[in-house]
Amino acid sequence: MKNLILLVLILNTLPFISSANENLPEPPSGIIKLSPYPAPAIELLDIDGQEFNLSETKKHWVFVHFWASWCGPCRKEMPAIQKMWNKLGKEGLKIALVNTAEDEDTVFNFLAIHAPDIRALMDKDGQITEKWKPRGLPATYLVDPNGQVRYQALGGRAWETKTYLDFLRHLLKQK
Amino acid sequence: MNSLQFYFLLFALPILVNISPLHAATKYKAQYNDEKIKLTLLSRSPEQIAAFYEGRGFSKKMINKLKQQCFITVGLHNKSSQILWLDLSNWYFTNHNGEIRRLNRKYWKSVWKTMNIPLAHQSTFRWTLLPEVLDFRTNEFEDGNIILPASNQPFTLRAQFATKADKSGKAINIQLNNIQCVHE
Repeated sequence: MKNLILLVLILNTLPFISSANENLPEPPSGIIKLSPYPAPAIELLDIDGQEFNLSETKKHWVFVHFWASWCGPCRKEMPAIQKMWNKLGKEGLKIALVNTAEDEDTVFNFLAIHAPDIRALMDKDGQITEKWKPRGLPATYLVDPNGQVRYQALGGRAWETKTYLDFLRHLLKQK
Repeated sequence: MNSLQFYFLLFALPILVNISPLHAATKYKAQYNDEKIKLTLLSRSPEQIAAFYEGRGFSKKMINKLKQQCFITVGLHNKSSQILWLDLSNWYFTNHNGEIRRLNRKYWKSVWKTMNIPLAHQSTFRWTLLPEVLDFRTNEFEDGNIILPASNQPFTLRAQFATKADKSGKAINIQLNNIQCVHE
């Protein structure tokens, strides 16, 4: 009897999970909607030596971004991320800005110019980046409040523009 | 200047311009461009390669190894409305002597391991390479290097791209001739 009740409960829950998927907005140009999968772990120190653990950001959407200072499109995109962050950081978006395999001096000097208000996470040997298997650098993923990867951006995006801000705000309303 | 000298200069000038260093630097760019795909190959000089990797803090022994190779920066833009598959196992480089074997990621992993290269530099190096396989989405652009053994001979690339998500679409075949490495 207990098993039957459990089965009924599970079956009743399924449509809600399914409709939650369907309610996610269609992304703007250059962002792919993915079949959800669990976000690979990110446990890194930031440039100031503070620990960051992606699993502690659950209940929030997380903007996970991989970059390197030598990558031209990364340099171009970073100011847009800073401008987006200035707005949406206050509205509940979390960010994991992961530098791929560079040293502190390089990252400090780069971010001082391009994104002074965002703490970079130091993937010093590049192994966390490898686990996420980005298509290239820069790479951005949007992770939902349940820790599922939902969207992936293709290359650099104009995150500071209305189209992308509206899309991200729409996500922030989805819990 | 008499008229003979004038006409000599008139005809000689384009020839002189054509052998200028600037032109020499650009003649190793090969490109295919149509309504579906743009593929660009740009050969890099050993100096360019050394400068880039020195800037990333790579060791001298690593740079010396890289400078001995033929670096080609590839840019690929999917201009079509369907998925385009980059798969480097479907790229064939040939010259007068036959097939040229590309130095792939597996090769470099083994080289760097033998040379005890730090993981960070191995990682950065890998990110500068063109992906081995990638499903290019509509309007996606990616670039990266491919590396061949250095050679003085011009070579040909024959590349095949599968199309559609399940690769069931009509394949696109591209041939680029007379590609050359840049030497010191």
